[in-house]
Amino acid sequence: MPDGPLGLDPVVWAVLRLVIAVALAIFVVLNGALVQIYLERKIQALIQDRVGPIHTGPFGLLQTIADALKLIGKEDIRARVTDKWFFLAAPLIVFSPMLASFAVLPFAPGLVGADLDIGLLYLTTLGSMTVLGIVIAGWASNNKYSLIGGLRSAGQLVSYEVPQILSLVTVVLVTGSLSMVAITESQPGLLVNLLVLPLAFVTYLIAALAETNRNPFDLPEAESELVAGFLTEYSGMRWGVFFVAEYGEVTVVSSIMTTLWLGGWHGPGVDALPVLGVLWFTLKTYAIVLAFMWIRATLPRLRIDQLMSFCWKGLIPATLANIVVTAVLLLAFPGTLLPVAVANWAMLGLFLAAIPWAQRRRLAATRRRLRVDVRRAAPETI
Amino acid sequence: MDVVGLLIFGALAIGIVGAGLAVVFVDRITAAALLMAFTFLCNAGMFLLLGAETIAAFQVLIYVGAITVLILYGVMFTPQGDRPYALFFQKQTPLAGFLVAAVAAPVLALALTFRDPGIAREGGGDLQPLITSIFGDYAVPFELASVLLLAAMVGAIVLVKRDEEDAK
Amino acid sequence: MTAVPLPAFIAVSTLLFFIGAAGVLMKRNAVVILMCVELMLNAANLALVAFSRRYGSVDERGSVFVVFVFVIAAAEVAVGLAIVLSAYRNRPTVDVDELHQLKG
Repeated sequence: MPDGPLGLDPVVWAVLRLVIAVALAIFVVLNGALVQIYLERKIQALIQDRVGPIHTGPFGLLQTIADALKLIGKEDIRARVTDKWFFLAAPLIVFSPMLASFAVLPFAPGLVGADLDIGLLYLTTLGSMTVLGIVIAGWASNNKYSLIGGLRSAGQLVSYEVPQILSLVTVVLVTGSLSMVAITESQPGLLVNLLVLPLAFVTYLIAALAETNRNPFDLPEAESELVAGFLTEYSGMRWGVFFVAEYGEVTVVSSIMTTLWLGGWHGPGVDALPVLGVLWFTLKTYAIVLAFMWIRATLPRLRIDQLMSFCWKGLIPATLANIVVTAVLLLAFPGTLLPVAVANWAMLGLFLAAIPWAQRRRLAATRRRLRVDVRRAAPETI
Repeated sequence: MDVVGLLIFGALAIGIVGAGLAVVFVDRITAAALLMAFTFLCNAGMFLLLGAETIAAFQVLIYVGAITVLILYGVMFTPQGDRPYALFFQKQTPLAGFLVAAVAAPVLALALTFRDPGIAREGGGDLQPLITSIFGDYAVPFELASVLLLAAMVGAIVLVKRDEEDAK
Repeated sequence: MTAVPLPAFIAVSTLLFFIGAAGVLMKRNAVVILMCVELMLNAANLALVAFSRRYGSVDERGSVFVVFVFVIAAAEVAVGLAIVLSAYRNRPTVDVDELHQLKG
């Protein structure tokens, strides 16, 4: 065990290091949440042709802090018929795995919490523990809307875990390691995995949108649906914990995408000054976060059956085909990634073309089933 | 370092056995389901203590992430009222307890006589040997396991499907 | 990591297994019986991994077996719960003492 600074006892230093690491992670997550809430409101405002918050602080920068202070000051209401311990435990079960995910993300060369051999598997495992928290939240609220919202959300999360994991498998096939640091180091300079595996990037993006309950998959917490789903009975700072957990999860998922597909901390100047890696990592992560927010401001919400059928009948076959084709090509042409890249871009084109084609077929089938004469009823849709 | 390992083992062992007892003896089913999840987590901790990190990750992923959720679904969809005449069947409980204790005692005594082997093995995780074994020696059972999972999935869906003719 | 002796792990595994067995025999709710079966499977996994890691098999055969036990446990819970839910739909009870129409 390493000796602590100033000659601290090794055991004391180990515990102190753990405390400092957790405090740092919470600090990063909370600040990230503040930044993201502000960015979200500004970006949504820009896309919706309005200005967003401008009164509190210059350019509305203090708006999030004002919101946070308001949330903290709210009265802690808890209905008497809710299951007390489960009600209190649910936000923690949703928050903790997200916090633990920061341990394996490589921010810069040498700056990683723990270089686990099974880094990606660890992240996947933590992602699957949030489902439990949501089911408990829905159950503990003792409220039909919460229960249905919680079970629906759990169903959505569990379904979309499959394409998420399958997309990660493709990257592991190409890289040959589950360790996040090894994956980052296998993408030097511009030879970034995005050029080789774009379909996996797109499918992971879609699955991540569903895993973090973001638009267009935010049915469980949409304002116009089922009151607020499993969050109905949570008010004040308890809701704030769920909220911060969601933004933290968005950050974690974006960090995973950065590490796997965009080259992690690689960028000009990192060889000379390793700390610059943090800057590049953050920029790339926030580029993806901005993409999430852009998608949120643009796309309409999917219904639960549309979302499920897209997952099971669209994403999973696509990711499975991706794995099979990538594996076959990697074995057939060892040493070069060019065939894999070509095949992947071709499959991406197919995937993107198949979505409107499948939609048109389903619409035609519905029309046939209802025997609607489109020319008379809705001529503008032809 | 020895003390820390022993302390962690002690805490995990108390967690496993205590939560296991609670699952059997607690009245509320939802509490029992969550205590079962706690047992699974402590078991994953034991795997980590043994150095089997991949198996620990799988344990949390499969048991806590999926099986607990399934059991909670099962609990939520089968609510039952009070069953006053259930007391009639209570008399078999002490007999069952006695039988289990009678079988457990010699097995426990046998378990405590195992010796720690003096084999020194090199450390390292279990990811590489595990993968080489599964996809090398045990590839056929792996494929059979996937067929089993497919059959279980289809079977579960068919069992729970409502008859569509009644709805029309 | 040779601090914790192997018999300790096996003792914990044995205790958990027999607690699960007692639960299967004593409880009447079918879902609780399924939970106790999961406890027994966990105990078996713990014993397998303990032996595999301590006796130093190079190809981690114990852990491979554990992976298959995971698979079978998951399949069993899925099908078992499907059966319980079907039975519940028939008569709104999951009490195993009352689900005895096939008896004798």
